[in-house]
Amino acid sequence: MRRFPLWSWFWFLLGTLYFFLPLLGTLNFSLRIRRDVLSLDAYNNALTDPEFIRTFVFSNQMAVMTILVSILLIVPTAYWAHLRLPQVRPALDFITLMPFVIPAIILVFGLIKTYSRPLTVFGLPVVPPLTNTVFSTNILLIFGYTVLCLPYMYRSVDNGLRAMDVRTLTEAAQILGAGWPTILFRIILPNLRTALLSGALLTFSIVVGELTLATFLARPAFGPYLALLGNHKPYEPFALSLISFALTWVAMGIIQFVTRGSGQGQLAGGH
Amino acid sequence: MTQASLPLQKPATIRPRGAVFNWIGVIPFFLFAIAFLFLPSSSLFIGSFQNSEGGFTFDNILGLSQPKILDSYWLSIRVSAVTAIGGGIFGFLLAYAVSIGGLPAWVRSSITTFSGVASNFAGVPLAYAFVAVLGRVGFVTGILKDIFNIDIYEAGFNLYSFWGLSLTYMYFQFPLMVLVMAPALDGLKREWREACENLGATSFEYWRYVAMPILLPSLLGTMILLFGNAFGAYATALALTGGTLNLVTIQIGAQIRGDVLHNPGLGYALAFGMVVIMAISIAAYTWLQRRTERWLR
Amino acid sequence: MAYLELENVRKEFNNSVAVENFNLKVERGEFVSFLGPSGCGKTTTLRMIAGFELPTSGAITINGVDMTDTPPNKRNVGMVFQAYALFPNMTVADNIGFGLKIAKRPADEIKKRVKEMLDLIHLPVKGDSYPYQLSGGQQQRVALARALAFQPQVLLLDEPLSALDAKIRVELRSEIRRIQQQLGITTIYVTHDQEEALSISDRIVVMSAGKMEQVGTPFEIYNFPQTSFTASFVGQLNLLPVTVSDAEGRRCAFNGRALAVGQPIRFANGASVRLALRPEELNLGGASGDSQRNELTGAVESVNFLGSVVRIRVDVGGATISIDLFNERQLVLPKAGEQVTVNFPAESCWVME
Repeated sequence: MRRFPLWSWFWFLLGTLYFFLPLLGTLNFSLRIRRDVLSLDAYNNALTDPEFIRTFVFSNQMAVMTILVSILLIVPTAYWAHLRLPQVRPALDFITLMPFVIPAIILVFGLIKTYSRPLTVFGLPVVPPLTNTVFSTNILLIFGYTVLCLPYMYRSVDNGLRAMDVRTLTEAAQILGAGWPTILFRIILPNLRTALLSGALLTFSIVVGELTLATFLARPAFGPYLALLGNHKPYEPFALSLISFALTWVAMGIIQFVTRGSGQGQLAGGH
Repeated sequence: MTQASLPLQKPATIRPRGAVFNWIGVIPFFLFAIAFLFLPSSSLFIGSFQNSEGGFTFDNILGLSQPKILDSYWLSIRVSAVTAIGGGIFGFLLAYAVSIGGLPAWVRSSITTFSGVASNFAGVPLAYAFVAVLGRVGFVTGILKDIFNIDIYEAGFNLYSFWGLSLTYMYFQFPLMVLVMAPALDGLKREWREACENLGATSFEYWRYVAMPILLPSLLGTMILLFGNAFGAYATALALTGGTLNLVTIQIGAQIRGDVLHNPGLGYALAFGMVVIMAISIAAYTWLQRRTERWLR
Repeated sequence: MAYLELENVRKEFNNSVAVENFNLKVERGEFVSFLGPSGCGKTTTLRMIAGFELPTSGAITINGVDMTDTPPNKRNVGMVFQAYALFPNMTVADNIGFGLKIAKRPADEIKKRVKEMLDLIHLPVKGDSYPYQLSGGQQQRVALARALAFQPQVLLLDEPLSALDAKIRVELRSEIRRIQQQLGITTIYVTHDQEEALSISDRIVVMSAGKMEQVGTPFEIYNFPQTSFTASFVGQLNLLPVTVSDAEGRRCAFNGRALAVGQPIRFANGASVRLALRPEELNLGGASGDSQRNELTGAVESVNFLGSVVRIRVDVGGATISIDLFNERQLVLPKAGEQVTVNFPAESCWVME
């Protein structure tokens, strides 16, 4: 009875083309380092470049640290807000929406302006300039990434907490005689596994390729490396782009897999 | 007796120590937000009203009216508007196709996954991907030239210009639209369509009087979100054009690197102006989303 | 000729039969309910009348016009949905006037009609409200007004009360009946709630597994159920395992005790059958020699006070029967475990498979 949905298929086809043509183009380029033959040499060159290994390892370290800081910062706060301070949740929602208003370029601008000189309160220096040492700049970078990823991590955790009815679970555990460590580590966190995993993977896929913060804080990350590589290598950047796409794909694929059916959506970011 | 088999642990209690105690739990988060979100952004805000001696001035804000800066805002606004409207319309049609357009279920799940990936795929790799497909020797450029005998560069197209950048931004814009609109389209109840038909309305009248008005707030809201999304983009533009396009973000980047405006205060004002535009768009998005939620409750 | 007529209507979904052999004639102004458990085909039948489903075979005529293949927006049939289905972007007045607006009636006529309808549903000041500002009961009234505003030939209601609270449900159902009688509109009402169907309808169509079980007035359906499905679905029913001892003389045996049956028995002597009787037909106490009354004895299992009714469950040896007594202040209730005698008129019971 229903007609063939011609237009639907048309838009689907167009969407699919838009998705895959750039990838096909990238793949095509990355294989053409040798004249007239397809080869994986570009991948070999790119992946064995010591500079690549150094920056990629650095970015991964930053991603892991960002994930840890985010979890430590957000999970207790969100849990506490659900349990004891529901009136603070609108404020949390608002704060975690702010990174959408303040894009990376503005954030790094403000961070540099604030932390490249001693931070003073009533004329007294309380924090020394963070951009002075490599270590403290890394900390600044990690905190900056934490801010950038705040919306994703917070939304994930908040959805997760909402889905499990924190108050009832906590009270049920208390009635059965559980202490705080038991409640947190054996009840709340296991139930948040999916939410934490998807928050962490989103954070990971944003941080690993991030360009803006790393460039302006002058840290040797993968994003700036890839951007510079384009200036002096013709094929290797495409190989690395495809790999970086594959990483995003794997991260999103896992999120789709673990959150399937739970109705948790995620939005995008990190441009 | 049964107690003995349980681990001996002090039962957790939430002692009634009043409101002060309750707030301790959220203080670390607020301190973090103040230190790394509000302090940096308000320092830019304050800086945009300060002269080089630290006194209050409107000169920086007024200085935004110089042609180069106005041009950069205008270009950023045009790119954002074009990709928000274009990406919005295309994303909506795609969301329609996969949600209520009569396509099989696997199409829906594959498009949702693609959209999740593509909306997060931005920055340097995205720029390279578009160089590979629409650059001078790109994949599609080549196909068009060799098979259809159309040289898009002869015809005036340039990837490193306005339209090239817009096409590139579209790659993360329309998937975001799909992610937001597909659930909204699911929210259209079958009964509304049936009630409409029952009251004598045609399919066109259903869309005109019921479906579109219901979807319009979230459609507009999401387009505004897309606008902000493109407006704040820096990495993709930089990697694609190397800073030759005069976008606000590119200007700010150059200012951070080396005070190209020769006036730090003007740089802060530039950033402040951008935050104002972003804030307006996010506020409008939030307001419009709430409105729809109220209807669809 | 009947106003609404369904002839041999049959509907299949993916080769499974949803409705079959459906024949019904509804007179102008009549209120007919389709009653049955979920999945019995009652909603499917209603949706075929509305035009949302096309019958696999058979014909539907309204006022002498064959509507079988007419699209829903050309049928001039009003429908009220279970989940209200009000348009959330329109005010109450715009919702009610929508059908007239589509029919391109002049604005002042629409305005006048909307006002009439708002008065009819007793919500005269809610015209400028939005649906989300109304309670469920109010929303359903608006949905009813919307379905009636364009003066449809037939009104269809698809479980309109099932999303509402018990109290509102009772209130609104008499409201629906009042409005229906006031306008004299031919109405089809789908429900799974037997009390609702009994209280509101001129006639009831009992349905089960896609088939019509029985058509009749509420009184006939309740008191003279023709199939065991109808008997057990509509109202409470006690079923006693009995043996036919004398079919001709209308007698059965239960635990060696002879019982008189009011209706003819269509089973052979010796057949194992069930004796059906309604809980409210039973009384406490002996039959005091009345040959037209039967007597049973047993131990009280439980006594439940339900308000206007007291339900007593008695184990009569191998079967438990329920007895409903009307509440009175001076009622002396037996205790659990007490031995009691109960009696019921032969006229009120019948034999089923």
